[in-house]
Amino acid sequence: MADDLPEQFDLVVIGTGFTESCIAAAASRVGKSVLHIDSNEYYGDVWSSFSMDTYCARIDRVVEPHSTLRNASYTWHVAETAPETESIETQGDQRWTRDSVMAKSRRFSLDLCPRILYAAGELVQLLIKSNICRYAEFRAVDHVCMRHNEEIVSVPCSRSDVFNTKSLTIVEKRLLMKFLTACNDYGEDKCNEDSLEFRGRTFLEYLQAQRVTEKISSCVMQAIAMCGPNTSFEEGMQRTQRFLGSLGRYGNTPFLFPMYGCGELPQCFCRLCAVYGGIYCLKRAVDDIGLDAETNELVLSSAGKTLRAKNVVSAPGYSPVSKGVEMRPHISRGLFVASNPLGNEELNKGGGGVNLLRLLDADGQREAILIQLSHYSGACPEGLYVFHLTTPAVSEDPASDLSAFTSLLFDRSDVQLIFSSYFTIASQSNKSAAAEHIHYTEAPTFELDYDAAISNARQVFNKLYADAEFLPRAPDPEEIVIDGEDPSALNENSLPEDLRAQLHDMQQATQEMDIQE
Amino acid sequence: MHGRVKVRTTEEERERKKKEQALKVRAYRAAMGRIQKKREAGELDSEMLTLTVQILQRNPDVSTLWNIRRECVLDKLAKLKAEAAEKEAETPKEEENTEGAAEKNDSQPEDKSQAVFTTELDLTEQCLMVNPKSYNAWHHRCWTLEQNPRADWQRELLLCNKYLKFDERNFHTWDYRRYVTEKAAVPAAQELDFCTEKIKVNFSNYSSWHHRSLLLPELYPNERRDRPMSEEKLQQELDMVLTAAFTDPNDSSAWFYQRWLLGSGAELDRVPKVAAFRLGAKGAVLALDKPNPELNKLPIELVSGDEKWQLQNWQSVDSGKTAWKLQQAFDCPKTKSLTLKLADQEVNLSPIPNSDGFYYFVPPHAVASCSKELLAELQTQLQSCLDLLEYEPDSKWTLLTSALLMRAIDVSANHDQSLTHLTKLEKVDALREGYYKDLAARWVLESELAKWPQAADFPTKFELAEEKSLASLPLGQYLIIADELKVSPKLREELGERLPKSFGDLEL
Repeated sequence: MADDLPEQFDLVVIGTGFTESCIAAAASRVGKSVLHIDSNEYYGDVWSSFSMDTYCARIDRVVEPHSTLRNASYTWHVAETAPETESIETQGDQRWTRDSVMAKSRRFSLDLCPRILYAAGELVQLLIKSNICRYAEFRAVDHVCMRHNEEIVSVPCSRSDVFNTKSLTIVEKRLLMKFLTACNDYGEDKCNEDSLEFRGRTFLEYLQAQRVTEKISSCVMQAIAMCGPNTSFEEGMQRTQRFLGSLGRYGNTPFLFPMYGCGELPQCFCRLCAVYGGIYCLKRAVDDIGLDAETNELVLSSAGKTLRAKNVVSAPGYSPVSKGVEMRPHISRGLFVASNPLGNEELNKGGGGVNLLRLLDADGQREAILIQLSHYSGACPEGLYVFHLTTPAVSEDPASDLSAFTSLLFDRSDVQLIFSSYFTIASQSNKSAAAEHIHYTEAPTFELDYDAAISNARQVFNKLYADAEFLPRAPDPEEIVIDGEDPSALNENSLPEDLRAQLHDMQQATQEMDIQE
Repeated sequence: MHGRVKVRTTEEERERKKKEQALKVRAYRAAMGRIQKKREAGELDSEMLTLTVQILQRNPDVSTLWNIRRECVLDKLAKLKAEAAEKEAETPKEEENTEGAAEKNDSQPEDKSQAVFTTELDLTEQCLMVNPKSYNAWHHRCWTLEQNPRADWQRELLLCNKYLKFDERNFHTWDYRRYVTEKAAVPAAQELDFCTEKIKVNFSNYSSWHHRSLLLPELYPNERRDRPMSEEKLQQELDMVLTAAFTDPNDSSAWFYQRWLLGSGAELDRVPKVAAFRLGAKGAVLALDKPNPELNKLPIELVSGDEKWQLQNWQSVDSGKTAWKLQQAFDCPKTKSLTLKLADQEVNLSPIPNSDGFYYFVPPHAVASCSKELLAELQTQLQSCLDLLEYEPDSKWTLLTSALLMRAIDVSANHDQSLTHLTKLEKVDALREGYYKDLAARWVLESELAKWPQAADFPTKFELAEEKSLASLPLGQYLIIADELKVSPKLREELGERLPKSFGDLEL
């Protein structure tokens, strides 16, 4: 099999994470020959999703000094098997055990790096623009939540939410709507008094000057603008606009979650790369990389074979390029499985969907993002809920980094935890000497959407191919004509099926009748 | 270079589209020609049905084709009926012992006619997918269901639900829904719940508010009929609609619904009432509170004890058909008490002080009754509006609504302030300046007319203070009983021909 592999490539991409897959697809799309290689037996690197058993196996794997996934552990909070005397279905209330959860292992899609997409954000736009969206499915996020008076409440996002909510008075409703409209229009009129007055001040100051009530203020700060007390006025406005600009596109909230987990997304890009001739090799490591000074090509040896590439892009954490590189904790992650959801019935109607909650610690300095998934996300079995907790790392101990937030969430709630797991995603703090001619991608950063990852991919791509377009639209099958045909000919096969049938009917009808011109 | 992937250019794409279009036009002409020939020949057969389907599926708005289809369907049904009758006559009596066979024979033509109906319903459904606002397709659906004594109305209800999920503002579907719910005897309460759900999804929906306005008076009738619905329900509705209005004050649907709520519900279907009447030495004049062009068809008479005088042949003196004068010469009877009877209305006339004749006058009443609870609700709403005006002093709808609320709470105490709101509205909503001026004139007249019976020369003289600068003189029919109208020369000039006729002007 290895013998069939060509020896010469325009680009070799090491690691199949999101950023690398983007670059591989973009290069392949503009006609470059691409080899995409990953020493793992799965796609996605630290952007991947796992079933329950493969997740545990991944956590158990030996950590190397340059691994990006580290400090990993997991704990089961339930018995291995049900005691024999107890029937499993007592009063219709299923008692979960390790075995019964493991029996549904394949129903899980546990993300290492879960994200939420803005419905009009960078990634969604890129997926649409490049026509990669046909490979993916999404669920609109059901509720954007916030903590108010120790409780988790839904934030009114849309106009109908504001209308229906019982938690705001009518004057508050008007103030909130007015505030949001003002934010939406911000920037259209540069001479606007507000924008001049608040330039250089914080967003919170602006908010307070709008005479909004405390509740509206927390709605905006915590969930809509998602900012802290020190966020500048300009940035707060931008963030609010980003939120509002994504409203009313696909669902009640401005957010989307990829069905079956975020691990699907790198694979969508890989698929496009393969459609345009990219070659994929999983479970294949690169043993050594050197530079051929004569041709200025990179020479890679992999599984006893020598490959030559004009360029190499690598994710952090892969040998040999990351060997000897110092790794720094970057993101602290918690992953929990429970038998009941967070928040009240209203937030989890009909078994719940996907809920998003941004948390701030007691002094409002550190933040974490919580994503709650029910089985409607396709990433969790029915009757169970997955909580993804993510915060920027401050230490090598993810559990202690997250303890401020887990106590907010679980201490005084009735959530029945079944499984909990913690790990760190690390980034490289410096480049290895061997990596001079290699382009690096960055480890996942702490963000809600994929903006930083896309901008990283775009930046690497532009360095490689300055003149080429980044992921232009891929044509649909019916737009493709085979050379040698008259391209303007009405090719029946290129029409959508129903129109083809209609035309066929018509043509038949025309033939049968006497046509009076 | 065979088989290489190449994407069609926009130029080529356009060319291809043009060819496709030409082919479609050819097919359409051919099919239409064929249909017309067949119809001339009276061939209302299955082929005709197939031909019309092809065109209607693409363009559901060809009324002619729907008419032809209806002819075909009726023809088919008549044939099936004849067939059934024939079969029944043919069926020999002895076969009836095998019950199953008899049933089968019976049901066959019935099944066939059901199949005809189903085909029509399916077709309209397909057409509505193409154009959900096709009048023809909706009409044909109603027609089909009317023909079928076994129509499945529950299925139609589900169809409405489905279509309103696609577009909750499609007024065709709402119209059709009202038709279906009546046929399916859906309880009004259930409909109201449905309606509420739709408003929760998107309150910017005139159709849905309208649907409510039809259901509520039926579900929660108002005993006195001076409000659209019971006061308790009215409070809830006012609360809901103000929430909508505050959420988005630029959406007019909620404000319109609110105006309806604050109005006196029975206005529209009420018969016109006698507003004013004067009987002089030579004749009589009559004013109604709302137009009635058919006044001469009503029996009108004066009664004094056992004596009766018919008053016939009235002539209208205003364009609004609210003010009338008696054409026939009539001498005022010498009596102390007189009663005017107009259809089933009866009013007692009063003698005119210091003059001959009798009169009747009741000022237009602007305000409906109000319980304590409702009053409290109105006051809360007014307060919310006033709060909002502090933040948004130029909000058009808030200004108008607060003026209306003030008048609903206490018309005389808030008269001046409500007029200030209208003056402000003339500026902030200059496009509707005339509307606000007219409304202001109406309010002023309402107030002046209410005070008139206390005036010194009532009812022979009506005086409008100089400082009242009015753009028009609404409710002018009430002034017909006065001998003299004293209005500013400016207004007199402005109104010209439109100045209301007074008793003195009319040559009786």
